[in-house]
Amino acid sequence: MATGADTQASPIAEAPSPAPKESRGWLWSLLIGLLILGLISTVPLLGDASALHTWTLIVMFIVLAQSWNFIGGFAGYAAFGNVAFFGIGAYTTGLMLLAHHPFWSGLVLGALVAGLFAFLLGLPVLRLKGHYFAIATLGIAEALGEFTTVRNIGGGGGGLMSLPLPGLDSYVYFFYAFMGLAVICLLVTVWLTRSRFGYALVAIRESERAAEALGIATYRYKVIAFVMSALPTAIAGGLYAYWSTGFDPSTVFDVGISVEMVLLCFLGGAGTILGPIVGAVAFELASFQLQTSGLNLHNTLLGLAIAIVTIFLPQGVIRVAQEFVSRPGAGSGRANSFMEGMRRVRRFIAANGI
Amino acid sequence: MEFGQVFVNWLLLGSLYAAIALGFSLVWGIMNIVNLAHGSFIIVGAYTAFWLYTQLHIDPFAGILLTMAVLFVIGWIVQYVAINRVIRAPFLVTFLLTFGLDLLIADLVQQFFTSDLRSINTSYANAGINLGSTHIPFDRLLAAIIAVILTALLSYFLARTRVGNAILATGMDRDAARLMGINIRTTYALTFGLGAALAGAAGAMLSELYPFNPSIGGAYTLRAFVIIVLGGLGSPWGALAGGLVFGLAETLVPLIPGVGPGYDDAIAFALMVVVLIVRPNGLLGKPFYS
Repeated sequence: MATGADTQASPIAEAPSPAPKESRGWLWSLLIGLLILGLISTVPLLGDASALHTWTLIVMFIVLAQSWNFIGGFAGYAAFGNVAFFGIGAYTTGLMLLAHHPFWSGLVLGALVAGLFAFLLGLPVLRLKGHYFAIATLGIAEALGEFTTVRNIGGGGGGLMSLPLPGLDSYVYFFYAFMGLAVICLLVTVWLTRSRFGYALVAIRESERAAEALGIATYRYKVIAFVMSALPTAIAGGLYAYWSTGFDPSTVFDVGISVEMVLLCFLGGAGTILGPIVGAVAFELASFQLQTSGLNLHNTLLGLAIAIVTIFLPQGVIRVAQEFVSRPGAGSGRANSFMEGMRRVRRFIAANGI
Repeated sequence: MEFGQVFVNWLLLGSLYAAIALGFSLVWGIMNIVNLAHGSFIIVGAYTAFWLYTQLHIDPFAGILLTMAVLFVIGWIVQYVAINRVIRAPFLVTFLLTFGLDLLIADLVQQFFTSDLRSINTSYANAGINLGSTHIPFDRLLAAIIAVILTALLSYFLARTRVGNAILATGMDRDAARLMGINIRTTYALTFGLGAALAGAAGAMLSELYPFNPSIGGAYTLRAFVIIVLGGLGSPWGALAGGLVFGLAETLVPLIPGVGPGYDDAIAFALMVVVLIVRPNGLLGKPFYS
């Protein structure tokens, strides 16, 4: 099993899984991932405030997609309510700030609360499977948002929370904080593709029963993966809270954010190292371009992207690219390899319909 | 509030919930697809009724068949264009796809009708029957009756007609059904169209009872899901039972001292998790797909 990132089979159980390829795949993925993040890190040097704003959000979505990947991409559990952790992180950090505690303590406490919440929630919910798990997590996110609104946790009416301004030059620090989180998530993802723990999660995804028969403590592993995906999400929520200085339950408990996490992973390739990064950059960039051009079509774009990705690319861009690049057909010349690759890709994309 | 009124409120609300969940149950039971676009079909139904009422002056209840026909066509098209292509894919793909369709449809509705809160005020909106101190609003009573009729009709259709039997057979075993000469593609399209039509009927009735805007669909999808979990999958009467149980919870819980209104989603969620853990097949149901 000591092969590279490419060894994980697809999350799509019925599609042919890519066979093990070169053992250094994970290293390439890590390098490309670091390269992409490194390139994005140069954005603050431009000194363009609106570009910084856009890219801060894009990096935030990279983090969110990466952390969804832990439970959804690797363990194959379709958590549709991960935005709950985002909201918990945001509100915990906000409350700590309002109580005049330092910012970092709010972040830490937010992560702890969200992790504990994920643990306690995971105990019953991770016993459910398939649709039931997905809807149960979706429901908890909705219910938490409702609770925050009704109890007016933020104090500003309807759950609205207003925070002190973080200082003008601090936006660069927020950007790099998100970036640091993204790098950490990247390293954790690489670790998942190379470790016993990660293999166990993939085994659960491919067949939970078989994994159990092999002696994997599936329940415990699932709960750990769920908590793991909650922690970065909550920290991102805390950072977002102070960065945005004002929010309400309908923004930080927006189920649309949950769905974007899932979409971004799917677009790039769920359960891969690069998938969440590529998916997040591609989709969010397109989304922001649309917004700046004055069209209020975010949900239309999101819906269309979801439809296209699920119908034509359920394996994700990264796996299609891998399919194209690697495995040159035996005995085929260089001139043929392009056509050969195209043919493979077309076979790969073939629809699942009746 | 006195007991009689609570009882009447519960029956009326529960039956209405059955209408909300019927189409969802049909599509899930037969096609094994959790149709998250169900809520947006309800919205389209509500706006169709709204359009019929404001432009053509057709009462929502009178125009319910027209609304259902419109939604049937939309459902058929959605099934043929999108759902059909992923029908064999694992659930996460269909789940995500229907969520995407939900966003898309709700956003398109918003582009056409804006996000303003709308409502339909008919001349008989405040009329009702008074039994002692118990007030039975006329429009809610009508909606409840239509919901029960729809449940009975769907049940009859599935159990007694050739087409209904074909749908049931396809739900039980797709390959065997194909060998019996059933056109799977058409049957699925018909099932999905029917599901959408039933959602449209629910939307038309809701449009008269509650104010609505394009963003309310998600809440109804969540409710439909919980109702099906409560009532069990694959039987129209299960949807009615689930609707009544769910209506009971939503009527009673706000009456508990110290809770108050506003926790609808929390109630729905808590109920569902409890039922799933205690009785995974629902209160009445047997699993259609195991």
